[in-house]
Amino acid sequence: MSAALAPDVVLSAVVGGVDTGVVLQASDWEFVYRNRRFLLLGAGVTVALTLTSVVLGLLAGLPAGIVEVYGTGPVAGAVRRTGVLLRGTPILVILAFTFFVNPVNLGAFEAATLGLGLRSAAYQSQIFRGAIQSVGGGQMEAARSVGMSQYEAIRHVVVPQALRRSIPGFQNEFTIVLKDTSVAFFIGLAELITRGFNLFTQPGQSESVLEVILAVSAVYFVLTVLTNQGLELLGRRFAIPGTGGER
Amino acid sequence: MSLLEFEDVHQSYGDEEVLRGISFGMDRSDVEVVIGPSGSGKSTMLRCVNRLTDIDSGTIYLDGEPVTTPETDVNDLRRRVGMVFQDFNLFAHRTALGNVTLGLREVLDYSKEEARAEATSQLERVGLADQADSYPAELSGGQKQRVGIARALAMDPELMLFDEPTSALDPELIGEVLRVMRDLAEEGMTMLCVTHEMGFARSAASTISFLDEGRVVERGPPEQLFEAPEHERTGEFLERLTSLHGGQQG
Ligand SMILES: Nc1ncnc2c1ncn2[C@@H]1O[C@H](COP(=O)(O)OP(=O)(O)O)[C@@H](O)[C@H]1O
Ligand SMILES: [Mg+2]
Repeated sequence: MSAALAPDVVLSAVVGGVDTGVVLQASDWEFVYRNRRFLLLGAGVTVALTLTSVVLGLLAGLPAGIVEVYGTGPVAGAVRRTGVLLRGTPILVILAFTFFVNPVNLGAFEAATLGLGLRSAAYQSQIFRGAIQSVGGGQMEAARSVGMSQYEAIRHVVVPQALRRSIPGFQNEFTIVLKDTSVAFFIGLAELITRGFNLFTQPGQSESVLEVILAVSAVYFVLTVLTNQGLELLGRRFAIPGTGGER
Repeated sequence: MSLLEFEDVHQSYGDEEVLRGISFGMDRSDVEVVIGPSGSGKSTMLRCVNRLTDIDSGTIYLDGEPVTTPETDVNDLRRRVGMVFQDFNLFAHRTALGNVTLGLREVLDYSKEEARAEATSQLERVGLADQADSYPAELSGGQKQRVGIARALAMDPELMLFDEPTSALDPELIGEVLRVMRDLAEEGMTMLCVTHEMGFARSAASTISFLDEGRVVERGPPEQLFEAPEHERTGEFLERLTSLHGGQQG
């Protein structure tokens, strides 16, 4: 089956389901349970894709945020415009470019990482930009006043504080990427949603669509909650004593 | 030769000329107190010395060398000139000790152990050795400002700039900061201080400058300005300050 044809098939499956009256059925739950390994492997791909995308987003987004605050000249301008372009492009279009249009032949996982990672970098750059600006000019002036270079001041004074302030925004971004890995369905990557789709489109299984989708969304939900709790813990672990964040 | 010299320094923000021809010199171990109404350019004057603000024309010399030229190594200049801020600007994510070690590590390339030893002795100098592991948010205003002073002193500066170091403090915390400043003055540190603490100015200053609208209106030893000011404005301003901030002897 060609990946690009998939959306049509989904639609007919759902419409077909409505026609026959989709209801929760024990036999369908049993079908989900029988295929749990198949689905969990998809969850594994989802987790892996989330991690690679968020890390790429961090590695590109943090320097981009720094350049947006402190940069001057053509490089800073290029970074700002690239961010605007990426934030203004639908993720499916970005994936179409990284997978179908890209002259370098990437596998679906790599193309999805590149697309989701670049888009996340564009959003993360804004999280870091805001966090850096909230640290305040006084910290930079104090660092420069003892003779630190701008780079040293950014690295040792501004960024450590900005990263702490980025955690709430980063928490959001992380969970958004986690759920948006589902768009890799578009390029046929066998992540969680794609595998769910493959289950209920099997011959004779169209009535299991509701159970499959519920099971899949439960996995996303659990992963999201775990992510949020993990990052909250990280935030508390690195909270600056005396500022009320460590509890 | 003067340690610090201003020669017809002009500076503006946009159309607003903030410094309108400042000229004066300070010798080594002088304590110059600058007073003047809000907005008269006191902070700007200090910031021009360590190039946090760039001047439009004129020259500032440190130890005989012009430091307002494009060739000046700004980081080296700032290493040689310590600055203490009104609102402390301590590095919020580092302990008191960490605030002092950072410059030693990054700018002077001290080893970890050397930096720790030097920072500890600077904290002792300001009476805060027991707070070495406290974070800024855990310190009182007076303690924060003393850490700020220790951080600047650790770089072994030739000149210290103080920009209203006690203005953000509760009255009962002012004395501990002034005491440290007085000790420094007695040790022979060259200090350029914007402060309205008249007790400190009277007893510690070698010279007081009255700055108004970007010009040094009057300048002289404390006795002269307090007892026999040449300009009416100076006398009025000093009288007002003394009634407001005369109490702290430091
Ligand atoms: N970064 C700045 N941009 C524009 N104007 C400024 C800036 N800093 C100070 N000023 C203006 O310059 C004048 C002098 O300021 P300042 O040197 O801070 O005075 P003081 O310290 O004596 O109160 C004030 O009118 C102030 O509004
Ligand atoms: Mg000021």
